[in-house]
Amino acid sequence: MTDIVVPADLWDTDDEGVLFLWVYTDGAIVEQGRLIAELTVEKAQLELNAPASGRLRILVQPETIIKKGQVLGKIEPV
Amino acid sequence: MAGPVTDQGRSLTMARAGREAVMAEMRKNPNIFVIGEDIAKLGGVFGTTVGMADEFGAKRIIDTPISETGFIGIATGAAMAGMRPIVEIAFVDFIGVCFNAIFNFAAKTHYMSGGQFKMPLTMMIGYGGGYNDAAQHSQCLIATLAHVPGIRIATPADSYDAKGLMHTCLRDDNLTIWMVHKRIWGLGWLGTALKTAIATVPEEEYSIPFGQARIWKEGKDVTLVGYGITVHASLQAAEKLAAEGISAEVLDLRTIVPLDREAIFKSVSKTGRLVVADEDYMNCGVTAEVLAVVAERGPQVLKAPAVRVAYPDVPVPFSRPMEDFCLPDADKIVAAAKRTLGK
Repeated sequence: MTDIVVPADLWDTDDEGVLFLWVYTDGAIVEQGRLIAELTVEKAQLELNAPASGRLRILVQPETIIKKGQVLGKIEPV
Repeated sequence: MAGPVTDQGRSLTMARAGREAVMAEMRKNPNIFVIGEDIAKLGGVFGTTVGMADEFGAKRIIDTPISETGFIGIATGAAMAGMRPIVEIAFVDFIGVCFNAIFNFAAKTHYMSGGQFKMPLTMMIGYGGGYNDAAQHSQCLIATLAHVPGIRIATPADSYDAKGLMHTCLRDDNLTIWMVHKRIWGLGWLGTALKTAIATVPEEEYSIPFGQARIWKEGKDVTLVGYGITVHASLQAAEKLAAEGISAEVLDLRTIVPLDREAIFKSVSKTGRLVVADEDYMNCGVTAEVLAVVAERGPQVLKAPAVRVAYPDVPVPFSRPMEDFCLPDADKIVAAAKRTLGK
C-alpha cells in the first residue's frame, strides 16, 4: 500500500490548492509515473503522477481544498 | 507489478489533452516551437504549456513581453521560413493588435505567393465569459476571425476533440486557430468542471478532420446547434426537453471554418426545427451563418421559424446578474426550442 501524498515541493509557496480532477476512477489499475490527478494552486495547473503501480483508491474527492503533505488516496498492490 | 495499463477511463481536461497533442508533435518535429506570454514558467494562463519548458527548453518555449503585435509577426515570418510556430494568446480579446499580421499576411501568403510559401502557423486561443471578467476579457470574436478567408478555426467542445483537432491543426500547412472556451478548458479557478467536457482520451495520436460536425445526441423534434460551451448548454437543454417529451438532436459544429453545412441541413431536414446557440455576438455571427445554410438549401424543410440564442449586441457586463442575463444557457435554449414547437 502506497499513499498518494501531495509533494512538499510541488509548488513554491505555502498556499492551499484544490484537487481538480482524478484522471482515473476509483479501483482503476494505474502505473507508476503516470498522470493520475490534476491540481490547481492559485492560477497554476499542477499534475500528480502515480507514486507506485497498482489499484487506485481515492480518498479525497475533486473540488476539495488540499495542502502539501496531505494524503489524497492510496495505491494497493495488485 | 500491476497488469497492463489500459487507456480505458483516462479522463483528461481539455488543457491537458491539447497539450498532449502539442508535445507529441514537438517530439517528432524540431521545427515546432511555442511563443507567447507566460507560457514557460507559468505554463500558460490556461495551462496550455504546463511542463513544456522543462522538456523542450527556452528556445522552443519562448516567453515574450506583452507584445502580441511583435510575436505574431515573428511567428508569421518563421512559418514562411520553414518553421512550424504555435502562438499562444490567452484572451482572444487582444487579438485586434495582431490583425494586420493575421489578416494580411498569415491568412493570405499561401495564396498570394502561389503556394511558394506555406503558412504552418497554429494559434491556440482562449475565449468566452461567464466568470465575471468584464467586457475586455470575455469575448468570443470567432465570427470576426471566421469572416476572413484563409483561416481554419477549430472549436473543440471536449477533451477528445481538443486533442484530435490540435493534431490536425499542427499538421496543416495553413493558418489554423484552435480555440477553447475558458469555462470548459478544465481550470479550477474558473469554476466547476463541466463533466461533459472531460472525455476519455486515448494515449495514441489521432486526428479529427476539419469540417466534420458531431452529433452528440440524436433526436427527432428539434435540432440544437452549438459549438464549444454551447454544446454543453444544448445537452442540458435536451435533457430538460426530454422530461417534457420533446426529442432534441444536439449538433456540435466542431470547426467553424470549414463549416459542415451538409450536417446542419441533414439534421434540420430530419427534425424540421432549428435552434442555434452561440456565446459570440448575435450580429453577423455564426448563428446567422447556420441559419443561412437552411435558407439557401431549402427553407421549406422548416416547420417553424428558426431561433437564435446568441449574445446580445452589448459589451459583456461585469456584474454577475447582468452577465448571466446575457449569456446563452440551457433555459434560454429550452425556451427557444419550445417556441419552434409552438409551446
